[in-house]
Amino acid sequence: MSAPLQNPTVDHAPVVLDAISKIYRPDHPELSVKAIDALSFRVERGEALAIIGPSGCGKSSLLHILGCLDRPTHGRYLLEGRDVSRLSEDERARVRNRHIGFVFQAFNLLPRMSALENVELPLLYAATTNTREKAMHALDRVGLADRADHRPNELSGGQKQRVAIARALVTEPSIVLGDEPTGALDSVTSGEVLDLMDRLHAEGTTLILVTHDLNVARRVPRVIRMHDGHIVGDGASAQIVDELLRESAEGLDARP
Amino acid sequence: MLVRETARTAWRSLTSHPLRSVLTALGMIIGVMAVISVLSIGEGAKASVEGRIRALGSNLLSVRPARDRGGAVSTGTAPTLVRTDADALVEIEGVTGVSAETAGSAQVKFRENNMSATIYGVTEEYLRIRNLDVAQGIGFSAQDDAERRRFTVIGADVAATLFGRRSPIGERLQIQGQGFTVIGVLEAKGDVGWASPDEYVMVPLSVHQGSLFGQDTLSTISVQIANEGVSDSVQARIEELLRLRHRLRPGADDDFEVRSQTEMLETMGEVTGTFTALLGAVAAVSLVVGGIGIMNIMLVSVRERTREIGVRLAVGAQRRDILLQFLVEAVVVSIFGGAMGIALGWLASIVIAHFGGWEAIVPTYAYALALSVSVAIGLVFGVGPARRASRLDPVEALRQE
Repeated sequence: MSAPLQNPTVDHAPVVLDAISKIYRPDHPELSVKAIDALSFRVERGEALAIIGPSGCGKSSLLHILGCLDRPTHGRYLLEGRDVSRLSEDERARVRNRHIGFVFQAFNLLPRMSALENVELPLLYAATTNTREKAMHALDRVGLADRADHRPNELSGGQKQRVAIARALVTEPSIVLGDEPTGALDSVTSGEVLDLMDRLHAEGTTLILVTHDLNVARRVPRVIRMHDGHIVGDGASAQIVDELLRESAEGLDARP
Repeated sequence: MLVRETARTAWRSLTSHPLRSVLTALGMIIGVMAVISVLSIGEGAKASVEGRIRALGSNLLSVRPARDRGGAVSTGTAPTLVRTDADALVEIEGVTGVSAETAGSAQVKFRENNMSATIYGVTEEYLRIRNLDVAQGIGFSAQDDAERRRFTVIGADVAATLFGRRSPIGERLQIQGQGFTVIGVLEAKGDVGWASPDEYVMVPLSVHQGSLFGQDTLSTISVQIANEGVSDSVQARIEELLRLRHRLRPGADDDFEVRSQTEMLETMGEVTGTFTALLGAVAAVSLVVGGIGIMNIMLVSVRERTREIGVRLAVGAQRRDILLQFLVEAVVVSIFGGAMGIALGWLASIVIAHFGGWEAIVPTYAYALALSVSVAIGLVFGVGPARRASRLDPVEALRQE
């Protein structure tokens, strides 16, 4: 499933992971924990995929590395063909600003700012102009242009998450990373957010969702299943989810 | 991130907790208020003292015997100031009046009331040169001095002590057991800090030097000059003339000293300046306390807003963006405190000046000083918490509840 990379620097895929490992406390062998063990996969442009697995399987660590919030202990991470696995703190901040959009489970909108200002925030950290117009355009894409002046506490959960999605889209990033994006929502508003995700995927956005919700996993074409820091399945979502359900029915340790 | 955005964010986070922000700034408010008040008191007191020195007589030079240098005193003929010295100074160009004065302490008595007072022997010119006015009765004439009349002009406090509500004019009081008729009472001047005219008892110089104290030396010769411009030349002429009259050899020290009003003002300025600096230093300590208050609340704020910092880092804020944000916030609080402190200090200085009996003056440099000190304190005490905020790990910060 992950062949050795021949010439990764000219690879056209936005995300290429090459034998990525994350070890916490690597200096203390008796305390060290291997959260991810030599993961390799690639994500093509415009692809939408979900990473699933039980808690403690390493999917959060993987998300942090994919989002350039953290550095892998070993291996290479090529984002848009550039190795970002050894960048400094501020260089990674620049990469996050330019190439990555985050959607969090808890929305993480800043409470004292209007929806529009929240969406505008990433642009303020980029040397760019017309920030208002771009933010308004992103809000329009998620269908919330009429809520631009509302504060987060004046919005419903689904609306908050859509504002967060607009914030992730506003810089036109290489990838949008979702961390349990429907985890704090009920089924109706979840559907609302997932429909939006579908539409973004249809429009060509590269989406990577980390979730343990199989309903979310079913909505995207590809699923990577993780267990104990390893990839134990990577393929079409229907196939991976069915496999998981069958194992679960057989009483194996397959709780997502 | 744009400075404007940063300032706006800072302002918004402060206005979202108005009470907390005011309490945070309270230390700064009190500190700046104290500094402004102290500077205003210093400036007001200085202006007041200057005003009183000026009130003693405009364009005045005073000639006094040199301070005793002890030890090597030339025997016998050491001439101190005498009345003929004063008479000689009248001739100098630019001099518009000369008053010869001497002083001595004595008991003053009217019936059962008595007090000790400084008795001044003065000439006709004295009241005019010293800007003193007679409230009741009249001043001395040249005849009073020439004919050694036992007349006295007394200050308002002396009149009140000895005569109570009774009019002193025409009454006879006793100075060292000798009877004097009161011919005038001076207008009350209020407290001028030292040697207030209200406590004066004046007699004609000839009487003072004759039957009363029997000393022909003078304590002071006051020289009124036409204007401040001739001060230096008149001073030089006085020195020249007196050295000649006192037969001082070239190289010998003067046995007198001439001081201009400007010198007196300078001396007083130094005194009030020291006083102001001292109080200002005490007030500055409260500014440091205010700074610590700001640091404390900023540390709390960084902890509370860890999640926000995490979000900002996730969307691409760099270390220095976060640093700047919290630094600006600290500076905005301290500038707010400084501005409030200036306003309250200004009010306080008006109140203090009202009770102190002087004009409320807040020197312009005090505003600039207070504002720049506020900014500096915000920076110094804000940089610690801001650095802490900027060093947070994004993953940890996002995990924070």
